[in-house]
Amino acid sequence: MTQTATAAAPRHTLPGAYAGQLLRVDLSAGRAWGEPWSPADMRTYLGGAGLGAKVLWDEVPAEVSWDDPANRLVLATGPLAGLPVWGTGGLTVVTRGAMTNGGTSTQANGFFGANLKYCGYDAIVVQGQAPEWVYLLVRGDRVELRDARHLVGKDTWETQDALSAELGCSGHMLSVYSIGPAGENLVRFAAIQGDYGHVASKNGVGAVMGKKRLKAVAIVRGGAALRAADPRGLIAAADDIANDLRTNPAAKTLYEYGTLPGVVNLLGLGALPIKNYTTNVALPGVDMKQWEAPALRQGFDHRGHQCNACGMHHCHMQVLPRGKHKGEIVDEPEYEGWSGAGWTIGCTDPVAVSWLNTQIDRACVDVNEFGWLCGWVMECQEKGYITEKQLGFRLAWGDAEAASRLLWMISRREGLGDLLAEGTKLAAERLGGGAAECAIYTGKNASPRGHDHRGRWEEMLDTCTGSTGTLETGPAVFPTELGLPARINPFDPEQVARQVAGLNGRRNFEDSLGACIFTTRTYLENLTRTLSAATGWDYTRDEAMRFGRRIGAMFRAFNLRCGIGNELERPSKRYASTPVDGPAKGQSIEKHWDRMLDLWYEGMGYDRASGRPKRETLRAVGLEWMIPAVWGEDRSRR
Amino acid sequence: MRTAPAQPITIHVEVLSWVNRFVGGPGTGQVTVEEAVPPGSSVRAVLRAMSDRFPELGRALWDPTRPRELGDNIEVLVNNAVLGVTHDLDSEVLDGERITLLGQYMGG
Repeated sequence: MTQTATAAAPRHTLPGAYAGQLLRVDLSAGRAWGEPWSPADMRTYLGGAGLGAKVLWDEVPAEVSWDDPANRLVLATGPLAGLPVWGTGGLTVVTRGAMTNGGTSTQANGFFGANLKYCGYDAIVVQGQAPEWVYLLVRGDRVELRDARHLVGKDTWETQDALSAELGCSGHMLSVYSIGPAGENLVRFAAIQGDYGHVASKNGVGAVMGKKRLKAVAIVRGGAALRAADPRGLIAAADDIANDLRTNPAAKTLYEYGTLPGVVNLLGLGALPIKNYTTNVALPGVDMKQWEAPALRQGFDHRGHQCNACGMHHCHMQVLPRGKHKGEIVDEPEYEGWSGAGWTIGCTDPVAVSWLNTQIDRACVDVNEFGWLCGWVMECQEKGYITEKQLGFRLAWGDAEAASRLLWMISRREGLGDLLAEGTKLAAERLGGGAAECAIYTGKNASPRGHDHRGRWEEMLDTCTGSTGTLETGPAVFPTELGLPARINPFDPEQVARQVAGLNGRRNFEDSLGACIFTTRTYLENLTRTLSAATGWDYTRDEAMRFGRRIGAMFRAFNLRCGIGNELERPSKRYASTPVDGPAKGQSIEKHWDRMLDLWYEGMGYDRASGRPKRETLRAVGLEWMIPAVWGEDRSRR
Repeated sequence: MRTAPAQPITIHVEVLSWVNRFVGGPGTGQVTVEEAVPPGSSVRAVLRAMSDRFPELGRALWDPTRPRELGDNIEVLVNNAVLGVTHDLDSEVLDGERITLLGQYMGG
């Protein structure tokens, strides 16, 4: 099928930086078309998470579950994508996800966003289900759905290799985001991986793509021009961001090493997850010097693997220096790779962790959820809740080879892998008893990030209450800019709840810009100045926060419509257990949970009893039009 | 009769990872600085003394707009507990106690 998309709206009516149209793809009908969107919607929803939230609300009613062909899969860029601003090649994936069966906003970087904008589209909105496996090829204004049966069974890196050869494109001319075997087999925590190592990992977006029989999306960089409204102002603002990242004492570590310092830092705070939350101190015999950021980088032959227009020394490829897989090229793990493929499962050999991390990206599941699941199975086997016979092999703490065997068994739904493919929560509930008590999950089934949240209460609260399938507020970035304290007592329930609610909104704004959250770790003022120069708007910090809270309220309303109520806003028993050692020893969140929820609801302006955003909250963020649907006056939407 | 001034006490300040560049370290591992302060000194007094000796650390540690407050770049732990749990800035520290300076976590 070949389709030339319709023309965009006249460019003079558009704000700067926008391509001006969405690429609509109906897999059932084998059809694709361009759909202009309005400048008013651009300002209201920006792109990324914001645009996706609007599509979900308008087009995915309650009865359309994650695996219904009518579900939408939104692959969105944002206004900064493709501009000369650091880290502006990524995408935001929004859909009704397989883990929570609710809203999702999950990001990956690379070149997808820039390539798509240069083809003349701000986002791709996929609906329907292909009768046979296909991949979507976007090459300039030519859009094709191509047979992908020859790609089925390939992992994500093999898929990108195959498409590079097939399309005759190499390097950053081609961006490929695909699913691996896990997505094909509808593993609930399957992810979408692209450009060798960037993963949109949360809430089973890979399973949604697999259900649609869409193996990959390949975008050949087009030649469409992007016009910034104020090019000089844009460059000046982008330079200020870059300078801030290079010189701010904390951000500078991101600039130099990405997230590698996380292991040592979080261990010091009692927030490094070790052996399925059974301890918070470094494992015996581990030399922590090898886990310092410089050692992790220098321990491998490595090369920079930067994303579009990015000057950070963050993403790298590396070569395994020893062992069974010596010489293999892998993606340098992010902090969450070191934790999910490493410490969480008791593996403390950086070479083994690095190898397993890329295996996880290739099979293509969420590394966090895999860590919780694998660590749980390891503990269950140690305690006899899951026998060696049931699993088919011995899965001991720290054994990366056995963990990989588990990974592929899950990805192909073989044996017990079929149950484990449902994720930690559902598998634990099915097994019950002692096994259920040591599983780490949330009531909504949003996978916790790769930390021990018993030492980071704000993230446990955020994970349990958020409506995006993951952290909705995220870690604090310059909280004093919003009038909030620079630091809080991480074990004070009142301070924690007020801080999480107070910061909410910034993350949704960042995730709507088409930029990486590591390069947006600057003052909001810098981001709004960049956005204003790009678009020609006069965008303020207050508008950014109002925008972010608008999108949060939309995701929440969507989830409530999907039947995801506030009764699910609880951590599992192990997730909320009290640490027995380390810096967070004895700190118990459980007894404070209800009080924290009360304060969080108050701070968010949501109704504690029903979970709904209050009418005045909806009005304050510009969602008056949602009041009838949210508060029951319009029964047809509920 | 004049009494002899009390002997100073020693606080062990561990400076971890990238933060130790500010005290002349390699930016990795741990550097321990012994800070001698008068008995009865607070956490704040120790950190101020450190900041006087290492101005670059001071600039990273304190909020430039509210000089009495810590900024948000560096975590401070006292005897392995994050500030706010057992000690605040004005709590007294005792001879031999340990303050840890640790870079703020950057996620992902």
